[in-house]
Amino acid sequence: MQYSSSALIQKYLRSRKIPSTACSGCGLGINHKVVVQAVDELGLGPADIIWGTSIGCAGRQTFGTWQGDGFAGTHGRVYAIARGLRIALPPEKKIICTVGDGDAFGIGLLHLIHCARSNVDMTIIVNDNLGYQSTGGQFGFTTPQGVKTDSSPYGMFEHNLMSEGMDVMHILKGAGATFLARHVAMDGPRAVESVKKAILNRGFSLVHMPYPCPTNFASRELGSRNQVNIYRWIKQRAKPLGQEDANTVWATGVWYDATDSRPEFSEHIWASVGKIRRTGAL
Amino acid sequence: MKRFLETGNFAITEGAILAGCRFFCGYPITPATELAEAMSKRLPQEGGVYLQAEDECAAMHLCIGASLGGMKSMTATSGPGFILYADPYGWALGCEMPLVVVNSGRVGPVSGITGAPGQGEFYLTRYPTQGGNFECITLAPNSAQEAMAMVVEAFYLSERFRMPITVLVDQLITDGFEDITVPESEEEMRQMGFKTWPRAFCAGPDFYPFTDDLDIPPVQMGSGAGGMCSDWTPTVEGYDIEEVDAHHKHAYRLIYKVRNHRDMFNHLYEKKFMDDDPELVVVSYGTPSRVVNTAVDQARARGLKVGALRLINLWPFPDEHFARKAKYLAVELNWDGQLVREVQRAATKDAEVHFLGSCGDLPTIPDLLENFEKLLKNQPLTRKGWELEAW
Repeated sequence: MQYSSSALIQKYLRSRKIPSTACSGCGLGINHKVVVQAVDELGLGPADIIWGTSIGCAGRQTFGTWQGDGFAGTHGRVYAIARGLRIALPPEKKIICTVGDGDAFGIGLLHLIHCARSNVDMTIIVNDNLGYQSTGGQFGFTTPQGVKTDSSPYGMFEHNLMSEGMDVMHILKGAGATFLARHVAMDGPRAVESVKKAILNRGFSLVHMPYPCPTNFASRELGSRNQVNIYRWIKQRAKPLGQEDANTVWATGVWYDATDSRPEFSEHIWASVGKIRRTGAL
Repeated sequence: MKRFLETGNFAITEGAILAGCRFFCGYPITPATELAEAMSKRLPQEGGVYLQAEDECAAMHLCIGASLGGMKSMTATSGPGFILYADPYGWALGCEMPLVVVNSGRVGPVSGITGAPGQGEFYLTRYPTQGGNFECITLAPNSAQEAMAMVVEAFYLSERFRMPITVLVDQLITDGFEDITVPESEEEMRQMGFKTWPRAFCAGPDFYPFTDDLDIPPVQMGSGAGGMCSDWTPTVEGYDIEEVDAHHKHAYRLIYKVRNHRDMFNHLYEKKFMDDDPELVVVSYGTPSRVVNTAVDQARARGLKVGALRLINLWPFPDEHFARKAKYLAVELNWDGQLVREVQRAATKDAEVHFLGSCGDLPTIPDLLENFEKLLKNQPLTRKGWELEAW
């Protein structure tokens, strides 16, 4: 990484909340740093971004960390709040939401799809720790098939959004998202580049970022909380797009880039309202 | 002023616009659909935004978002949608976000009957979300004209109390056509008693004071002041915290900012023939009160000592009206008896409390008169036979 964490923290985050109360070895901090570094490389300041968060490890650990304005939504609903907020915000303000996989792809999927559908200018960072880890470690909707969790003691066998050739990205692309990328926590500068593109897109952007959970996921699936094991386990299952092999769970890189190809939600709404107000018709 | 023969949905729409509402998000549901339709037509004309959400849960969350960005916002629904507000209602209470929620009651439970009036959400408007540790304010008008006034009032209160306010109506009010007067200037609004309050915003750094103070501006996103709010128990600054002391302070504010300022809304009631110690006090709210008022007029003409108490401010429940020793009869649009339970709780120990329910249909004046007479003669109330003798 180009910058030291302490420099980024001083510039953008609140010392009261950083370091966070995340478990030892948790990969969330890496993802968090990727996002903050992307913001910094774009030359944006704390007042340029409104930071939304969700429920679960990703939401709770990142809430209140941003020096600028920030809010936390109820479980799965931060997308709907952000969509309403987008209408009230000046277009130059950016919304970034750091959320978890259960929040985005489980309870919040409907709202997420409707944000993609209407191409709301927001950047959703889905920090995927492979299940519901803040409740102790249950499988989620992007948890790899066969893994053991507290709610899949025989191995996870339910069909989900990443099984049988499916990919949650297909759903989001079909719904109208204009920028989609996936990076595991070890992708470093590549991930930063994708997050920068996501933020710059004036429309709905989502970056899916699987990261290691040594405490709950690894202890059940790998029988060890040794951080090296889970970092290696994820890295072995991630390959850049186009270089996938039989073991690849996460194809990484820019998955879909249709930046600025569709009108942005709030601009479209306000332009329509303005025209109706002026002329009485569209 | 301009007069219209229009629906309650129209009246509520115009009231909201007069109060400064410039964002509405809803989901089609009978009998509140025409309210959304009216908003979709009127808001763009006023430079406001109408959006249709994927469900009611999203609709209220979008309103929260717009309000969080500084826009006065409103949503409207019926019972099946109101229950989906549970999640965002809690957020708006906890984050102290001004917002107006209209619920037009129909027959329940669940989808029930769409095109008939019901009053099944009396308690739900007191506890619209989980967790407790809050008070709610609910206003229940009984006509289209009053619905307009109460929506204006709800916006006023929501800004000053920094919280969501529910306006509880029913299908007859929202769908029914009535003579409606709309003020056309600020002077005319004043003449009609309409008060408005501008949106202010908290420039930070603190999220809230643990006092019962009114007129604390809400947090606003986008100012760059570092404002924070969340669904978690907050510190004064807005950070999330898991400490019971912090929770106690927050709960104190959510409860007592309402309880200690009841004078802001507890004048919202109507009394009829209540000055001569009536033997029987008929208690109601919303549309049934219109039949009750007529029946009480006729009872008086027959020499029966009956009075009528119509509640407009339902929550916090105005216990002070039930101090006299009398017979109370709660007339409601449900069969299970909801208002009556609260009357029983609030009434003095030696008062008698009775219940007369119907649902989907209003009670008739002859029915009411017959029951008034029976109660005054200490006879049991007329029953259809298949319901329980006592609620």
